[in-house]
Amino acid sequence: MKETRLGEFEEVILLIVGILGDDAYALRVADEFETQTNRAVSIGAVHSSLNRLSEKGFLTSAMGQSSPERGGRRKRIYTITASGRSVLDDARSLRLSLYNQYPGFMVEFVGS
Amino acid sequence: MSKQQPNPPKLAKWLLNWFLKKELAEEVTGDLDEKYHHTLNENSTIKAKLNYWYQVFNYLRPFALKHNRSNSNYFIMYQHNFKLTYRNLLKYKSSFIINVIGLSTGLACALLIFLWVSDEISIDKFHKKDQHLYQVLLNHDESGILRTGTESPGIMAEALQQEIPEITMSVEDTPAEWFDENFSISDGKNFIKAKGKFSGKDYFKLFSFPFKHGDPSQSLTDKSSIVITESLALKLFGTTENLLGKMVDYHLLHIKKQAQITGVIKDLPLNSTIQFDFVLPFEVFKDIIGKGMHWGNYNAVTFVEVANGTNISALNNKLGNFIKEKLEGSNVTPFVSKFSDNYLYGNYENGIQSGGRITYVKLFSLIGLFVLAIACINFMNLTTARASRRLKEIGVKKALGAQRSSLVVQFLSESVLVTVFSLLVAFGMVWTVLPQFNEITGKFLSLQFNTNLVVGTLSLAIVTGLLAGSYPALYLSGFKPIHILKGKLNASFGDVWIRKGLVIFQFSLSIIMIVCVLVVYQQIEYIQSKNLGYDKENILSIPMEGQAVENTEAFMAELKNVPGVINASCTSHTMVKNGSYTTGVSWPGKNPDVEIRFEQAAVYYGLIETLGIQVLQGRSFSKDYASENTKIMLNEAAINVMGLEDPIGKTVNLWGADMEVIGVVKNFNYASLHNKVEPMLFRMNDKFFPHGFIKISANNIPTTIQNIENFYKKFNPEYALEYTFLDQNFQAQYIAEARVSVLSRYFASIAIIISCLGLFGLAAFTAERRQKEIGVRKILGAGHLKIIALLSNDFTKMVLSAILIALPIGYYISSNWLGTFVYHIQLRWWFFALSGLLALIIAWLTISFQTIRAANINPVKCLKED
Repeated sequence: MKETRLGEFEEVILLIVGILGDDAYALRVADEFETQTNRAVSIGAVHSSLNRLSEKGFLTSAMGQSSPERGGRRKRIYTITASGRSVLDDARSLRLSLYNQYPGFMVEFVGS
Repeated sequence: MSKQQPNPPKLAKWLLNWFLKKELAEEVTGDLDEKYHHTLNENSTIKAKLNYWYQVFNYLRPFALKHNRSNSNYFIMYQHNFKLTYRNLLKYKSSFIINVIGLSTGLACALLIFLWVSDEISIDKFHKKDQHLYQVLLNHDESGILRTGTESPGIMAEALQQEIPEITMSVEDTPAEWFDENFSISDGKNFIKAKGKFSGKDYFKLFSFPFKHGDPSQSLTDKSSIVITESLALKLFGTTENLLGKMVDYHLLHIKKQAQITGVIKDLPLNSTIQFDFVLPFEVFKDIIGKGMHWGNYNAVTFVEVANGTNISALNNKLGNFIKEKLEGSNVTPFVSKFSDNYLYGNYENGIQSGGRITYVKLFSLIGLFVLAIACINFMNLTTARASRRLKEIGVKKALGAQRSSLVVQFLSESVLVTVFSLLVAFGMVWTVLPQFNEITGKFLSLQFNTNLVVGTLSLAIVTGLLAGSYPALYLSGFKPIHILKGKLNASFGDVWIRKGLVIFQFSLSIIMIVCVLVVYQQIEYIQSKNLGYDKENILSIPMEGQAVENTEAFMAELKNVPGVINASCTSHTMVKNGSYTTGVSWPGKNPDVEIRFEQAAVYYGLIETLGIQVLQGRSFSKDYASENTKIMLNEAAINVMGLEDPIGKTVNLWGADMEVIGVVKNFNYASLHNKVEPMLFRMNDKFFPHGFIKISANNIPTTIQNIENFYKKFNPEYALEYTFLDQNFQAQYIAEARVSVLSRYFASIAIIISCLGLFGLAAFTAERRQKEIGVRKILGAGHLKIIALLSNDFTKMVLSAILIALPIGYYISSNWLGTFVYHIQLRWWFFALSGLLALIIAWLTISFQTIRAANINPVKCLKED
């Protein structure tokens, strides 16, 4: 059975794929990751992660269009699957529940 | 985008295409190109290119690689090889264990010897001036024969420095051993024994003994100064701080003086031959000796620093007449020899350097190499023998398309793996036995991993592994698979002549070692039991000091009354090592051109009786006669040399005074058995006898000693009694020989055990190979004995040839070693017969287990296969 948990990096990548929609290919995801998080990342690292997420069944992919600056080569577009969505859902509710239980934040919530 | 824009780096692109999975190529190269152009638009070309490289390297990830775990032939193959190695080891556990035990014991032995040898070599080399630090030795011309000694006139050092320009610094010194236990020192309250000596003012400039407090160059300039070691400081004051300027009292025999501490030095390193607890200025010694400081009296040792670039042999030529010019009729020729060499090369024969401890260093290096060679040979022998079991594996692999190179790598790495493993085991062994080894050798060795050691041992292990693995790797891998699989090659591997040669070589070495151990053991036994000509049992040896010196007569008289004491006396001679000698004896009819050396001892009444020395003619010194000071006693050797007939009553001239011969004693060994018994004289005309001897009754020794101690406390309250047993002092001279004896026994047993392990493995292998033959023979009616004989025959022949080779070599080595003793055992034929027989029996016992098992085999079992 495949590993189905989600790492922090994977979670962010998965979300970015969701945000980018039809434009989600490795280079674009890497660029978006850098702008969103201000962390440098190589295309290879992102590609490897996308590959792993596909193996886990959270993403599917298909070859998309090409452009002249790619030398006429096509890109691989990734899309979130249903199980990808549900794993994101789980991750978010886990986070929220944890945040809600942390007194340091609870006071703030109560106060505001 | 325009066409002029520079393209991504070609090399990077090629690299990417080389390692990247084909199915990823399109998207990845597309992405990278796009990224490259984006960067190019915003940054410089160089940045874009660098970024491209960066991205390419970041695709070196498992998911993107062509040859990854799951799909790499190499990976699978290596995994398979390791698995096979492991399974093979499990399958042939016993031979694997024999192999590892044999090799690692050998390696451990060699390592221990290496540690010992490197320690021996490092002795005395730590002085900063080592390269220029020389010791002055003297060749004494004694009737044409040169005898080399370390003692030189105490006034020589100063003269050398003034007159010889090549000598930039020189120091006179007295070794601490000269004063034995005669020094005691105190902080004003309690006296303790300590080892002291007198040294010239530049002593600490010449020798690098690091100072903790004080100035090395000024510490011995003042006559009342003293330099002490840290451990003596701790013993005296309980601290090493703030001691400069403090006063101490010291006693040397009957001399009592005070001194002021001018330096505290760190404890002397263990690899220094010079050992002492404190140093006094040589000027004090000069005062004590007084008129005795002249060119004819050798009462110091002299060290010099020679100038850079001095030609030593030219300097020695120049020194040749140095003393003869000062003293007419002198027979000594000084020369210098490197100080740090003296430890290993300390023996001189007729003025020529003739070895020394270096003999033992060489001997053990040789033994170490032998043991290592035996172990490595064994390893190779067993590995190659086992390799032919794996012919089928080679055949199958080759049939499936394995390349020869991959088989070579497989076998080589396999044997290297085992040798490296053995090396680790060897390190473990060394670490475990090091404390015991230190006890035997009297050293303080420790296993320290420095680059030399690690690189040395590792390369040794790897070379052994490569050599051992080369036979299967290079030879077996070359066969055609079809021949292997048809079994055509099987038969020829049982008896390769090389393997026989190796066994013969191994056993020769083992037999040589057996011979040597036997001879060494016999000689040591002989030394310990030889009748020395006097009775060394139950004799206490004590230093004479304080009241005992000042009032010897009362001391001896009262000592004899102590219950348990049979007799007591004192002398200037230690009776276990060469003492002082003289050439100043003449007698009527003496050839004036021939100098004859007489060992001389000043003795007190009753010494001859106390030691049980046999008087052959005449009488010994006695209080019943008057003016014994003008009488002399001689030993047999002296009478023979002098050619005196009927010596009693004859007159002999000693140092210008006529002395009457009153007695002749039987020859006895007054020194080590390495030396001959020389002419010896006993005289009474002295006041000072530093060595006391007390003969006590064999019963109740502890009580007697307690009685003597009580008496001593009353009689000599300022001194503590330090006693030793004469027979133990006698044994102590042979400590080097005793160590060699013990060590050689261990190493020889190890060599023999390793050889036997090899033989055992080989016998097992042969028995297995010849199983079918044995089965057929049994079916045709061969009996057990016949089969045992059949299998043992080969090995017997090998061992017999080893005996033939080894015995002459063993004879040569052992007779050489015995030659270093003047009194030694005769080599007997049975030493050699026994050694040979022992080797043969050991070999038979070793293989008997295998041969008997083979002879008992049920022929049905071994014939039903195939």
